[in-house]
Amino acid sequence: MRLKTINRLRTGCIALVALCLAGCTQWRYDMGDHISHADLEKLQQGMSLTQVIAIFGPPQRISSNVSGYVMAWEHWQVDEDSLGIRLGAMGADILSLDWGKARIRGEFLLATFDREHRLSGSTVSEWDNEAGGGRGIQPFIGVVSMVDIDDLVSQMPQHRWGANSLRELPRALNTQSSPISGAAGVEQRGTPPTIGQKSLELR
Amino acid sequence: MNRLRPILMAALCAVLLSACVQYQSKRGVEVKWQSDITEQLHKGTSTRGEVLALLGPPSQLISLEDETVLYYLFERTKGNGYILILYNRFTVDARYDRAVFFFDENDILSDYSTHIHAPEDD
Repeated sequence: MRLKTINRLRTGCIALVALCLAGCTQWRYDMGDHISHADLEKLQQGMSLTQVIAIFGPPQRISSNVSGYVMAWEHWQVDEDSLGIRLGAMGADILSLDWGKARIRGEFLLATFDREHRLSGSTVSEWDNEAGGGRGIQPFIGVVSMVDIDDLVSQMPQHRWGANSLRELPRALNTQSSPISGAAGVEQRGTPPTIGQKSLELR
Repeated sequence: MNRLRPILMAALCAVLLSACVQYQSKRGVEVKWQSDITEQLHKGTSTRGEVLALLGPPSQLISLEDETVLYYLFERTKGNGYILILYNRFTVDARYDRAVFFFDENDILSDYSTHIHAPEDD
């Protein structure tokens, strides 16, 4: 009798653990091509556009500006880890304990060219940083995500170029200044919409 | 048998609730800038019309006074993941096939570059 009770308890415990734990989830993003240091060392002021795109290939971002062209090549790696424990799986969405964090690594090469298609400047940045995270206890309904990396892993803006003027107001009014236009500079992933050219879009 | 029941139940749960996924996303213009196509283009002689006829409408058109740039982009995202209830892992790789063509004030091709990821790069 006692053995039967222990077995039942053990079964119940295993089932409870399996159902209660939403578990640990990891997302790994790798976007673009690595920019090698050997290639970067080949860059010299005054070299032609032809030589630069022969080394790095077509840029991932390009825009004209008053003095020529600005081009960017980028490589991003984004890691998202989250851990959640919740009772939602038992049919009672009454308690969830969540923890999450994100880390980004990347390289970004920005090059400017004058009207004669000569390299007038270049800069490279490399980073390996925490991209945020959080932890929380949500007693009733889990409404807040602990990690938000949507702006870092979104698709390239060129896909939306054709529809740039068809966006809702006031974004459509900012078309000429938008980085998507190809005539107002480029921006990196994750740039907040409240700064720079997009601040006029009032998002 | 009673002793095995919890283990069997746990194994059953693990089998029934685990999964693996594979997905891909393709966005952008069709990749037509293979070398056999671009071999037909020549700097200094080919026109913007010829490029458009060969490759179709671009993803983005950029102008700098009289110059124009046609930019083509095809974004390929592949992902896979496994869901093991207590531990889930997903990987997503995005690669960009692209081509850029520069035209002078006479709409003559002055420069271009193309890039297509080989399957082994994925």
